[in-house]
Amino acid sequence: MLRYFIYAKKSLLFLMLTIFLTAVYNSADAQNPNVIRGKVQDNTGAPISGVSVILEGSKTGVTTDDNGDYSLPLQNGRRNETIVFSYVGFITQSLPVPVSGVLNVTLTAKTSQLSDVVVVGYGTQKKIDLTGAVNQISSKDIENKPVLNTLQALQGESPNLIIQQSQLDPGSNVTINIRGVGTLGNNDPLIVIDGIIGGDLNTINPNDIASVSVLKDAGSAAIYGSRAANGVILVTTKSGRLNQKPTISYDGNYGTQVPKVLVHKVSASDNAYYKNLSLINSGLPPVYTPEQIQQLKDQGNGTWDVEHLLHDAVLQSHNLSISGGGPTNSYFISGGYQDQKSNLIGNGGSGSPFGYTKYNLRLNETSVIGRLKANIILNYTKTRNKTNSVGDNNIFADANRVPLNFNWKDSAGNYLTNSVASQYNEYGVLEKGGYNQADNDEIFGNVNGELTIAKGLKLTGIFGGTLMNNGNFFKRTQVNYQPSGVYGDDRTVFDNNYKSLLLNTQLYADYTKDIKDHSFKVLVGASNENFSGSGFQLQKTLTDPYLGTPTTGTLVDPVNSYNSLGVDQSSINSLFGRLNYSFKNRYLFEGTFREDASSKFAKGKRAGFFPSANLGWIVSDESFMNHIRQVVNSLKLRATYGVLGNQNVGSYQYQTTYFNYPSAYGFNNVSVGGAGFLLSNEDLTWEKAATLNLGTDVGFFNNSLNISFDYFNKITSNILQPRYDVPQIFGAALPDYNVAKVKNQGWEATVDYKLRGRVVTQTFSLNIADSKNKLLALTGGTTQQIVNQDVFQLIRKVGQPVTQYYGYETNGFFQNQADIDKSPKIPGAVVGPGDLKFKDLNADGIIDDKDKRVLGNPFPRYTFGFNYTIEVKGFDLQLFIQGVAKRDQFLRGELVEPFHYNYGATLYDHQTDFWTPENPDARFPRLAAIGSSSNTYNWRTGSDLYKFNAAYARLKNINIGYTFSGKVTRKTGIQKIRVSLIGQNLITISKLKFIDPETTEFGNNLSLGSYSNSARSYPLPVFYGAGLNLTF
Amino acid sequence: MKFLKNLLIIILALTVSAGCKKLDLAPTDRFSDLTFWTTDANVYSALYNNYSLMYNSSLFFYNESLSDNAFSSTGDYNLIASGNATAGTAKFQNDWAYYYSTIKSCNLFLANIDKNTTLSADVKSRLKAETRFIRAFEQFNLTKWYGDVPLVDHDLTPDEAKQIERSPKQTVVQFVISELDSISAILPSQDDLPAAENGRITKGAALALEARVLLYQGDKMADVVTVCEKLMNNQSAYGHYSLAPDYSDLFSNPSVNKTNSEAMLSLQYVPTIRTWSELWDFVPRSVGGRVSSMAPTQELVDSYIMLNGKGINDPGSGYDESDPYANRDPRLSATVVYNGYKWVKPDGSVKIIYIKPGSDPDRSAPDEYNPASQSSSPTGYYWRKYFDPTALANFVSGNNILLIRYAEILLDYAEAKNALGQMDETVWNNTIRLLRQRAGFTDPGALNYPGNTDMTNIIRTERRAEFAMESLRTDDIRRWKIAENVMNGYAHGARFGDPSVDNGYIRVQQRKFNPERDYLWPVPSSEISLNNNLTQNPGYN
Repeated sequence: MLRYFIYAKKSLLFLMLTIFLTAVYNSADAQNPNVIRGKVQDNTGAPISGVSVILEGSKTGVTTDDNGDYSLPLQNGRRNETIVFSYVGFITQSLPVPVSGVLNVTLTAKTSQLSDVVVVGYGTQKKIDLTGAVNQISSKDIENKPVLNTLQALQGESPNLIIQQSQLDPGSNVTINIRGVGTLGNNDPLIVIDGIIGGDLNTINPNDIASVSVLKDAGSAAIYGSRAANGVILVTTKSGRLNQKPTISYDGNYGTQVPKVLVHKVSASDNAYYKNLSLINSGLPPVYTPEQIQQLKDQGNGTWDVEHLLHDAVLQSHNLSISGGGPTNSYFISGGYQDQKSNLIGNGGSGSPFGYTKYNLRLNETSVIGRLKANIILNYTKTRNKTNSVGDNNIFADANRVPLNFNWKDSAGNYLTNSVASQYNEYGVLEKGGYNQADNDEIFGNVNGELTIAKGLKLTGIFGGTLMNNGNFFKRTQVNYQPSGVYGDDRTVFDNNYKSLLLNTQLYADYTKDIKDHSFKVLVGASNENFSGSGFQLQKTLTDPYLGTPTTGTLVDPVNSYNSLGVDQSSINSLFGRLNYSFKNRYLFEGTFREDASSKFAKGKRAGFFPSANLGWIVSDESFMNHIRQVVNSLKLRATYGVLGNQNVGSYQYQTTYFNYPSAYGFNNVSVGGAGFLLSNEDLTWEKAATLNLGTDVGFFNNSLNISFDYFNKITSNILQPRYDVPQIFGAALPDYNVAKVKNQGWEATVDYKLRGRVVTQTFSLNIADSKNKLLALTGGTTQQIVNQDVFQLIRKVGQPVTQYYGYETNGFFQNQADIDKSPKIPGAVVGPGDLKFKDLNADGIIDDKDKRVLGNPFPRYTFGFNYTIEVKGFDLQLFIQGVAKRDQFLRGELVEPFHYNYGATLYDHQTDFWTPENPDARFPRLAAIGSSSNTYNWRTGSDLYKFNAAYARLKNINIGYTFSGKVTRKTGIQKIRVSLIGQNLITISKLKFIDPETTEFGNNLSLGSYSNSARSYPLPVFYGAGLNLTF
Repeated sequence: MKFLKNLLIIILALTVSAGCKKLDLAPTDRFSDLTFWTTDANVYSALYNNYSLMYNSSLFFYNESLSDNAFSSTGDYNLIASGNATAGTAKFQNDWAYYYSTIKSCNLFLANIDKNTTLSADVKSRLKAETRFIRAFEQFNLTKWYGDVPLVDHDLTPDEAKQIERSPKQTVVQFVISELDSISAILPSQDDLPAAENGRITKGAALALEARVLLYQGDKMADVVTVCEKLMNNQSAYGHYSLAPDYSDLFSNPSVNKTNSEAMLSLQYVPTIRTWSELWDFVPRSVGGRVSSMAPTQELVDSYIMLNGKGINDPGSGYDESDPYANRDPRLSATVVYNGYKWVKPDGSVKIIYIKPGSDPDRSAPDEYNPASQSSSPTGYYWRKYFDPTALANFVSGNNILLIRYAEILLDYAEAKNALGQMDETVWNNTIRLLRQRAGFTDPGALNYPGNTDMTNIIRTERRAEFAMESLRTDDIRRWKIAENVMNGYAHGARFGDPSVDNGYIRVQQRKFNPERDYLWPVPSSEISLNNNLTQNPGYN
């Protein structure tokens, strides 16, 4: 019954439309205008300029002027046609040519993302037709963040796009995971920039990006085959549009980064007292007399601390772009300058201060020549990163490990050393000790053509690539200290350079055809990618003390001077294809395949086939949904399954190779070279990841509330890993083998809510995700691997998350002798009250290796991002919170252990919560001298004493802006002015107080070879600044 | 379907064009298995790689801190010396891996060298003998530290490495001795080496190592005598060796260090090119030292005899506790830096080293003993031996490190003869007297044969003084089984401490040595977990 009613309603509508169109046709004929005029405005009545107004199917078009007015000339006989009004961010409207010759249009801003077009592999798809797990991040989400690195701008914007920054200093790279860790080997996602596979997201200008698509599941990524197992990030850069009025825009921001130092030493007198206590507790004589302690107290604090090595530093970014287009061509040109000064003082003795600078220049030009659309993209990026010559690690360690009574400089300006830092004074190193300058030049080129062969049939060819030139200039200069010590008297200078070329050739054809309710889209193609690179380095010592150039006595360092450094070459040939089929635009099917052959594997092991199949169902279009369509506007169910590959191993591993190296040994005072070897594995081949993805997208209340949810289950087998089952008796490093297996399961959700009012518009966007991995097989018959990471251990164990912290679980402290007598201990250990008690997990009365257990998981769980915007008339506010709800972090070194190895001579505020009879429930054990049995028992046994909770939430970005209204600005020739105030990293909530909770020893792959985190890191910069956007 | 036909043609064209790219890529900066061995120069490069893996300067110096001669605050050395190490201690694993990786490289060489067809059989046999020497040296070091160890006499496959069992120490030692016997017949004599080959492994080196291996067993003293007598009495066959005229110059003076008749096996370095720099962390700060990461103990200082041949505690020794460094064995000042030491700088000027607290006229007092400082010595002593005045900045030296020198043969011989009850004046005059003369003793009380009372102690003390800082003391206290005495209780430093505690000698470290356990290092627990056939030494479970 209901169905009949709908049918009747539809028929009626059709009838009315026919009548209307007929009327239009007839009356147009009667009036016969030659020009159509009108005004285009938005919901608020404000005129929109730059709107493209075009006769459908023709190349004739105009754009609206500053007042939103247009006039479109008509040729005779073209009256029964449709005019298309389109503008970025608004719903395109198609209207019949009016009889009156006047057509005023109100464009509606896009409310539902379902009408958006999303960039996918080798093409685009309407969001409504997507069946895979794809998130698209638009330029709007990236702009207005004062960061130099695109990845920093992407952090928190997409669920399960896990971006970690383990180092905070300018120019340091950022690691990415999509959906966590699915393999023991390389977890890098594949980067595709403007269709070219392989590229550097660290150097691309965030302001040049139009959109970023994150392909997470096999369904969307399988078309990239052998390297897509870790997901794919597709970046599309900005371009001009046909028939677009030239627009010039400027985006800039300027501000100050204030370093936030979280760790603080106790006063020198307290420090002396604690030092004595540690010795007395260990039966050793105190080293400070009460008079000396009093003297330290009277003397007060000196300048030897981290704060005196830091200052506020400028961060600025300026970007200018011009875009526009005529009927047959369009262009986008942009230039960017970004500069982030380091918070560390000094310049190393000469030149500009430490910091990171980036220059970008981009051209994107498209010409339409008949059936051919030719496009060229050129980008040049230059980055320069100037850092100190000693390494941040040393700087923060040396600043922290010396008691507070000492000074960096005396009144005469001499750099001082002392009994703790006897060799170096980092103040002097920063101001005079030389520097490392990394200069990277990168040219990206992409020439592509799209030929329309017949209706629906297109042939696309792409040729492009990246030419990279990475250079370093390092210079260590001599700094003399008082009363003794000298830095850099070797006066080392080196130049190195690495040049690489990545080339991509692709050819593909796609064909679209609709037959009644059936829509088909077919794509087939082939490609080759190849990479080659090599470098050199020349290092000299005892160079000229001022110039760093060779002089009398200069030596060439034969060990550190190379040519043919890192010579590498690899190539992949591929075939790929995709079929999209939909029935009634409601039932969706997609199938893809890719066949890759890679030079990294031996003949016979080289080829890999990677298929996927996707199903989608737009449930909301079904008639049974009619009665709730008022509430649920759209509902889609998605399922994909496919197999992806990972071939991220070094080249040539299937061949045993021998390499010569210089100065291996010497005879009769003359050096001779040696030859080492690298063992092979002829059977090396792809990793394979089989991924299931189930997802749903739901829109409520006129699509003002949108919810997406995805669940995934990925099993990666044949994981490329060195064999951990071979003991070191074997005697050599083994190549990678296809040995391990990992399951990675998780989910991600986004909730977007838009509250549109007459005056106030608000949006809320929350994304949250989790992934949980489990090792299914390690290697051979081995089920676990334990490695020492400094004083504690890491474990890989079948059935558990891939890498975890491992060791003893503490159980408070021994409170008295009776407690000691009755508690289990490590055999032979001499302990006292205030030493750690470990749990005897197997209850055998002693503490030994059998009592060790998993202590924590270092990988972030429950990552989230929350975006809130509010617009009130000209004002807007954007607020962005990002965080990790669960992560364990083990820290080592002097920031955890007081008087660490006697290398550290200090104790910090956060360490004063140690055991004493009066403080039995302390965080840390009693103080004891290094090398004493107590110190060894507590600090060398690898327990959860070192464990910290690194969960956090951070107000990452806040942006308050005001846009001046059109009328005021237009008189000055400016279309739009927006001024803003920007704050970054203003508030962080975390239980980990003395270092930034985001720092980690791991990159994106939880490698067992990672050095443990010593927390000697660059402090979090808090940014305060202002921004300006101008559009002409 | 015209469309489908077009599509097919396109696919075909694409396939052909993509298929053109070559995927058989060989590295251009490396050799493959097939091409490497056929070139003679490559064979030599592989051999020299084995030489470079034979031993290293860090093991050579720092292992001294596992004896009563020295204290190191550095990580695992500190743990092991204090008796706090476990089967998981990293050094046990690192050293194990180091020795076995050298053995791998040697075995790979031995398995492949015959792919070369252009080198003569004689040359190949010599190159193999040198490699077998290095392999025997590693295998000996392994059994010395760990007791029963896997004997790896061929290139292991990964699966063999997972199953190989420990061979009894006796079997390993027997293998080492038979290898050394066999290659000593092949290797050239030191006398026959052209100058350019100075530093290559010789007949003498093989026999000298054999003497050490036999001596360390304790029950093969007659064999020690046989080997030593070959080297001492039949030099025309086994090479001419003798003591260098000056003890200090042997380690410090580059020209003596590089060309002397005493070195039998040394790690070869080349100034500015292949270098070592451990001294940077051993010497006083006032003469360029960085930190003091290993320092001599009072126990070592006390062991040096007086110029009259008496121990400091012997009646009539003339030892004065308030002027403790006067009239002592000259090797003390060639080895140890003490308070008031006159350090001769490279330019010939003298710097007096002030270690006693409050004694330095320079108010910054960089060398003074200061328990709150990390850079000054924790014992009140620094090292001098192996100081190279021609070193680059940061003590980057190209001097050779002497692994076995002729002095050791003399002392091996004396110890073996004494153990066999055959010590007499002739043996004394041919061994200890020569060493003391070379050291600079002139007093007949020190030079003349003292009779056999307490001869064991005299030989042991002589060995300690002669080889201080060369890590032989660590071997000696373990094979003599005296570690349980000398590595228990406090290690001390100079007399700068609280007079009421240990007579004012600084307590540096409390040490423990468990004779049931610590005479052997543990098989690394990580290795046992990967090879179920490996067993653990007693006391480490």
